[in-house]
Amino acid sequence: MDIEKVKVEVETDAQAVVSFHHLEEFRVKYLGRKGVLAQLTGQIPLLPKEARAGFGQQVNALKNRVTVIVTEKEKTVSPVQTEETQGVSCDITMPGITQDIGHLHPITQIIEEICSIFNKMGFRVVEGPEIETEYNNFSGLNIPLEHPSRDAFDTFYLNPSSVQTEKYLLRSHTSPMQVRVMKSAKPPFAIVVPGRVYRPDAVDASHSFMFHQIEGLLVDDGIRFSDLKGMLEVFAKSVFGTDIHMRFRPHFFPFTEPSVEVDISCFKCKGKGCSVCGRKGWLEILGAGMVHPNVFRNVGYDGDYTGFAFGMGVERIAMLKYGINDIRIFFENDLRFLKQF
Amino acid sequence: MKVTYNWLKDFVDIDIPPQELAHKLTMAGLEVGACEERSGDCVFEIEITSNRPDWLSVMGLAREVAAVTNKKMKDPFVSRRAQCSGAGNKNVKTGVAIEITDKRDCPLYTARVIRNVNVGPSPDWMKQRLELIGCRSINNVVDITNYVLFESGEPLHAFDLDRLSSSHIIIRRAQENEILTTIDGKKRTLDSDILVIADKEKAVAVAGIMGGLESEVGDSTRSVLLEAAVFDPVLIRRGRQILGIQTEAAYRFERGISPGIVSFASLRAAQLLEKIAGGVMSAVCSSHFSAGKSLLVSVRLSAVERILGIAVSFSVAQKMLAHLGFTVTRSSKDMMRVTVPPYRTDVKIEEDIIEEIARIYGYEKIKVTLPSLKPKPAGFEKRDAVLNLKRVLVGLGLNEVNTLSLTDKKTVTQVLGRVPSSAIEIMNPLSNEQEIMSPSSIPGLLRCVSRNLNHKQEYINIFEITKNFSWMNNSPLETYVLAIALCGVSSRFTEHGVLRENVTFLHLKGICEAAFGACGITDYSFMEQKGEVRIIIKGKDAGFLRMMPSSVLDAFDIKNRQVFCSEINLENILEAGIREKKFIPLPLYPSISRDISMVIGENIPAGTIAAAVHKNGGGLLTDVKISDYYKGKQIPSGFKGLTITCIYRSSERTLTDAEVVPLHSRICSLLIDTFKATLR
Repeated sequence: MDIEKVKVEVETDAQAVVSFHHLEEFRVKYLGRKGVLAQLTGQIPLLPKEARAGFGQQVNALKNRVTVIVTEKEKTVSPVQTEETQGVSCDITMPGITQDIGHLHPITQIIEEICSIFNKMGFRVVEGPEIETEYNNFSGLNIPLEHPSRDAFDTFYLNPSSVQTEKYLLRSHTSPMQVRVMKSAKPPFAIVVPGRVYRPDAVDASHSFMFHQIEGLLVDDGIRFSDLKGMLEVFAKSVFGTDIHMRFRPHFFPFTEPSVEVDISCFKCKGKGCSVCGRKGWLEILGAGMVHPNVFRNVGYDGDYTGFAFGMGVERIAMLKYGINDIRIFFENDLRFLKQF
Repeated sequence: MKVTYNWLKDFVDIDIPPQELAHKLTMAGLEVGACEERSGDCVFEIEITSNRPDWLSVMGLAREVAAVTNKKMKDPFVSRRAQCSGAGNKNVKTGVAIEITDKRDCPLYTARVIRNVNVGPSPDWMKQRLELIGCRSINNVVDITNYVLFESGEPLHAFDLDRLSSSHIIIRRAQENEILTTIDGKKRTLDSDILVIADKEKAVAVAGIMGGLESEVGDSTRSVLLEAAVFDPVLIRRGRQILGIQTEAAYRFERGISPGIVSFASLRAAQLLEKIAGGVMSAVCSSHFSAGKSLLVSVRLSAVERILGIAVSFSVAQKMLAHLGFTVTRSSKDMMRVTVPPYRTDVKIEEDIIEEIARIYGYEKIKVTLPSLKPKPAGFEKRDAVLNLKRVLVGLGLNEVNTLSLTDKKTVTQVLGRVPSSAIEIMNPLSNEQEIMSPSSIPGLLRCVSRNLNHKQEYINIFEITKNFSWMNNSPLETYVLAIALCGVSSRFTEHGVLRENVTFLHLKGICEAAFGACGITDYSFMEQKGEVRIIIKGKDAGFLRMMPSSVLDAFDIKNRQVFCSEINLENILEAGIREKKFIPLPLYPSISRDISMVIGENIPAGTIAAAVHKNGGGLLTDVKISDYYKGKQIPSGFKGLTITCIYRSSERTLTDAEVVPLHSRICSLLIDTFKATLR
């Protein structure tokens, strides 16, 4: 490479630099890792010993010259010039050109968020039928047919089809899947079951005759109440944030013993008490407990299994999370609502 | 259940403020919903779970308060002498005979007579307590029965003895259509599922639920017959359901009354009647009752640890349980024998005792652990396919809706022409919106369309993956379907301004094809049939595309709009489509593509032309695509402009123009000869 020619080229190229874009090209061409000056420097060891010093000096001088040009041009090339030369030829405040994408229903989003949290912890997501037998919905779960504990589970029954004898109902909770899963599989297993449930409640801001629940069940040797607490803590903090506090209150469910209701500190008022939490500072989010031995017996387990189960209302969690105060809006399907999620 | 702080103090020396007590109770499983300071007292509103009828009384709650505050229960009212059932004034004749038709309906009935009572207002302290817990004061006799009900949990009833036809009390089932006017003034028609208290002539009260108006205690009452009994919970439950009434008494009987409390309650009320209403009580007259043996439950200390994850020593467990009234002895190193007090009807097995230990120990204090899970292999499942499909549809701009699975027959008839004979009917709907399980997803979608049109939405593009319900061989069948509805004008911003398009059948078809692609379905076709389009997947009918007739839309108040709906049975799709993707090697040699633009009769389907070209194109023609379509000024009426693109390729060599030219002119001739096309 002829250094004299390069010197001329540098000056010519420098003339042409009128924008930041050109300047960057110029800099890369001469000062880049594989640039002209790097190549010239690379030639030095190939020269006869006596010529090396002189050539080296020339290369250095040229490098200084290029550096000076770059520094000067940086000052003279104005940013305004850059924009013009790069050619933003449209009004960037106009709407972008795209295709509208749709929205998953918020209930689906909450179900997927919750199921995915449990999925990551090793739970499998399964679904079950919405039409159930009285056995799976009640007796199998240790809920006596004529007992006040059934009052919490008012139920829609089906008119029997012509000759069929079995009594069917619309499941009033997702727990019948506990019976189904345990009857068809042996532990260990861990499942979550999202789905629709039905109760003949008069419709108002906090009641719908159809809503969604998520059930969880983990059965194995040596599952303890302390494990249930740990698992639910991971869950609640994943959904509501790691800065929440949790509270485990004894409660009663016929199909778990011991049973527990789980509250989280109100994320709006941080536990001070506000309209969201009804001045309690706590929000109830789910019910849970250790699987009742009668349920194990009903499904024919005789081993020394223990396990825990939990259940939560999806609408309730969605309402808490998104600040919705009327359950009916989920089923009105107003696009202005759906498009917010 | 409401209770006041001071009332609890009758039974326990509470040395913590009400708020702190409320918190302690909540954390022991008695959720205190409200804690309100009133009239120098504090009213707690407590949610009582259905397994704990013993908590439906001040004394039951006090027992719990004693346990959580580490105090002893006081027993301030009933002296040892008075506890024996013979208490009472021997000079007052009971003169009552009790006859129970079926002991299963009424295991225990007691009656006591109190004479010379003066009915009048209650003392202020009693009035105040009753009013604080929401019970209206009536007169001293009725108030006393209510007071003792709340205090002890045993419902009592006071009859005006002089208004009974005899002192012979019969506890029997009502006769069919027997009439009784209850104290709420309502005339009730009874049946044999209802238990009544009767004198020799007629029913005088609905047992355990509500007294009769005729024998009600009033200002003129001088002699009271005080009833304290135990009735069969199931019978009371059924009775109050038949009569459609809920009372404090029924609420408690239905949950189970411990017989042990009956004689106490009777005596306590009689003592109060003597003190407050100036009466004189008789001895008690009781049906024969033998208390069963106390239940003994064996509890392993190792099981406590196995279930709770905490180690609890014998002495600690014993102390906690003793506070709750359990007697605990040790039978071996690991084993405790726990005697269950009669009022704890909920405690039957080891786990029940373990829960008691956990409650008093404090759920909060149990240290958190995490289980080790043992996952089993699980691949791409049906549910994954559904979610994948939903995401593809959302990517195409559709919005997911969630419609109710119950519907009314009228709407279904309007959409389907009739209610299918396989429709599943609800036995006990609250309204006609809940008559049947949806046999079709379309009514739900049309409701959404209608609603959104009312809210001035220009473009409605919605879908739902839901279930249709039907009877199938006397079993309920739940079928997953994908339902789509399109209506209105889509508008999209482009370089040249806003592009507005009325939705058409082809928009719906495009969405369906994308859905099939997402599910890995390639073998499908669309077939026109009776004014709609059937979707055929792998040779089987899988659903339809339909422009909803205006007669249907009218029913949803949708006017002057076109609504396109599709319903696709997903059972077929998802089964086939758990995706097995396979790689097809990329072509080694470049292709040559040739367009043919033609004007052709408008009734000739583009697909027919493409198929004919494909069939007659020879081995080197690898693909034929419809690449343009035009109708307008330049095209004569009755015709349309169509462009097809033919792709030629060899898998062995690079094709030359010279090879393609004869093939292509053959296709052109075919179009001209067969379809009378004019090439442009």
